[in-house]
Amino acid sequence: MSKKECVAMLLAGGQGSRLGVLTSKVAKPAVSFGGKYRIIDFVLSNCANSGISTVGVLTQYRPYLLHEYLGTGEAWNLDERDGGVAILPPFATQTGASWYAGTADAITQNLGYLEGQDAEYVLILSGDQLYRMDYEDMLATHKANNADLTVAVMPVPWEDAPRFGIMNCAEDGRIEEFVEKPAEPKSNLASMGIYIFNADLLINTLKEDDKDPDSTHDFGGDIIPKLLNAGKRLYTYQFKAYWRDVGTVASFHEANMELLGAEPAFDLFAQDAPIMSNSSTRPPAFVGPKGSVDDSLVDNGCTIMGSVEHSVISADVFVGKNAIVKDSILFPGARVEEGAVVINAIMAERSVVKPGATFGSADEETVTLGDDAVVEKEA
Amino acid sequence: MPKAIGLVTCNYTTASNDDVFLGRPVASMPYLGRYRLVDFALSNMVDAGIRNVGMIMPNNYRSLVDHVGSGKDWDLDRKNGGLFIMPGTAFGTSRTGARFLIRDLVQNRAFFTKNSEKYVVLATANFVCNVDVKALIAAHEASGANITVLTKKASCDGNIDVVTFDVEDGRVKGMHQGVKFGEEAFLDYAIIERELLLELLDSFAAVDHLDLFEALNSEYGRFRVMINEFDGYMKPIFDKASYFKANIDLLDPEVLDELAPQGNREIKTKAHDNPPAKYEPGCKVTNALIASGDRIYGTVENSILGRNVIVEPGASVRNAVIMQGVIIKTGAKIENAIIDKANVVPAGTELRGTDGDILYLKKN
Repeated sequence: MSKKECVAMLLAGGQGSRLGVLTSKVAKPAVSFGGKYRIIDFVLSNCANSGISTVGVLTQYRPYLLHEYLGTGEAWNLDERDGGVAILPPFATQTGASWYAGTADAITQNLGYLEGQDAEYVLILSGDQLYRMDYEDMLATHKANNADLTVAVMPVPWEDAPRFGIMNCAEDGRIEEFVEKPAEPKSNLASMGIYIFNADLLINTLKEDDKDPDSTHDFGGDIIPKLLNAGKRLYTYQFKAYWRDVGTVASFHEANMELLGAEPAFDLFAQDAPIMSNSSTRPPAFVGPKGSVDDSLVDNGCTIMGSVEHSVISADVFVGKNAIVKDSILFPGARVEEGAVVINAIMAERSVVKPGATFGSADEETVTLGDDAVVEKEA
Repeated sequence: MPKAIGLVTCNYTTASNDDVFLGRPVASMPYLGRYRLVDFALSNMVDAGIRNVGMIMPNNYRSLVDHVGSGKDWDLDRKNGGLFIMPGTAFGTSRTGARFLIRDLVQNRAFFTKNSEKYVVLATANFVCNVDVKALIAAHEASGANITVLTKKASCDGNIDVVTFDVEDGRVKGMHQGVKFGEEAFLDYAIIERELLLELLDSFAAVDHLDLFEALNSEYGRFRVMINEFDGYMKPIFDKASYFKANIDLLDPEVLDELAPQGNREIKTKAHDNPPAKYEPGCKVTNALIASGDRIYGTVENSILGRNVIVEPGASVRNAVIMQGVIIKTGAKIENAIIDKANVVPAGTELRGTDGDILYLKKN
């Protein structure tokens, strides 16, 4: 194995329990997004577009679809001889087996993999965030600061700051204090959960933390405070572009809707850093003689015989005659049968709203329908 | 283990002078918004379990090689077998009517000798159809024929480029160029035992300028060549009109689902990283096929749009085939037309053909 400058460790084991039925069968990073993608596409594309060709993906919760989707990583140009995607689920050793107990513990349990990469820097990423970032630029900042650890931060509205891990820094960006969910924040720079470590420091710190019985083995809660106390050089990397952590049904719905409109908050069409995906080979979408589509994204393989408005429609969706889909997100293979009405809803993969049935309403919270679930017409 | 290897000849031309075909082989002609014509022959073979496919290339093979690459998108990037890019003998493309030119096959004799599969499936690239090649092989075995050819009874007089078989009780007695109503048109799919093909190549060495089936014309008494009638949707593409029709025909979800179904018989093609198509506020799209990566602000009716097409506000596209990367600027109007790749149609321009004579704007 040749020496590498920077490898990524991608945390993709989370359940995303607040997404309800959307994650009842798949891990959050594998949830469909934006009509063509799965959430993990964004961070994998960032890696590819930033020249990072070795990515360890730590999986745990319901990993089948995620593993199948990742494959060899070729969809993101990550199927390289010397590197590429390595799928890292929990495993057994001579002394037994255990689940990943925290973000840091997941890396600790895979130190064998990480040490084998012999990298200078380690980039820690989350598989459930939506943003476009050049990690090379973050690494350049890390090197310029001669930092031990660089934490990506972004300014959040002051009233939201108490919900985040907040970094209090000096003018040059050096972190002086880290406060998790402060009641009275002194800064509005929130940690994005994206870190660049000097590899040796990370490995040593994780080994020590592993022996600490009081540690919860979490990067934010344990590792960063320990390094601050030890007087290490921790710096921020300020990010000001679009970033979303789609933790809840409402924020997931909102992030999809932000792809729509004349000037979307996140531009899927930007040429310089394309979002790559493991896409299917389907014919173009068919909009029927009486079909209509307005202010929406529609992927290949769809048949739209009814009306679609302000919605995000994934591959192989069927919308029947006289059916109405509005303000909704339809995952691959979802079916809205003839005369059915779907408003302000999220329909997961292959779910069906039967002829004449209604699902969702503009006046209530966004409703969700799980994979393969069916809504019948009320008698 | 599959019983057959496949051979797709991509190096022949058509009798048509339509400039739709100028500058690129028929096999790499963009089709239905996201495919190339060769996708059908390759996918049909791969779906039958064939993992060993040779392509005989035309001299202008750049677009074709760009498209097929290592064969990965058809699962033809194999350790053993896979995709073989093979040279044709002629400079340029072979003459009209030649499908399986004997000298092309002889030149690539090694492809037939170094493999041990029992059968060779032959195909060309300009029939759009979803053929169950596995069933065709089974029918060939069941009939005990020397060669089985896939045909369809012509529902009207057809193209001069189509090869037609004279048939009695399902057995081929002769062949000729051009097809008339009721005749058995050859869909350019054939199955032959590999050993027999090698024998024929040797015995026809003196007439290697002929097509295999032309050379067989005096031998149909000696060899049992049987037809297998295809009953699905198919379209021969040899000129502008048939190319246009083969696109517009697919504005019918049932035909579309038959030609490019989900699942086992999917038509595979080169994957691209386009976003989903974006239908902007106020656009109007009816009876249209819209590929990923498109952005539509204006009006689209009865049309097929390839990848990454932009229809700007106030622009309209009616009864047209728009290939990938075309930008139709504000207020431009397009009707009864084929707009080839990467054209920018300037604001306010009107490009109109007629039903009988489709306007063609060549590749930019």
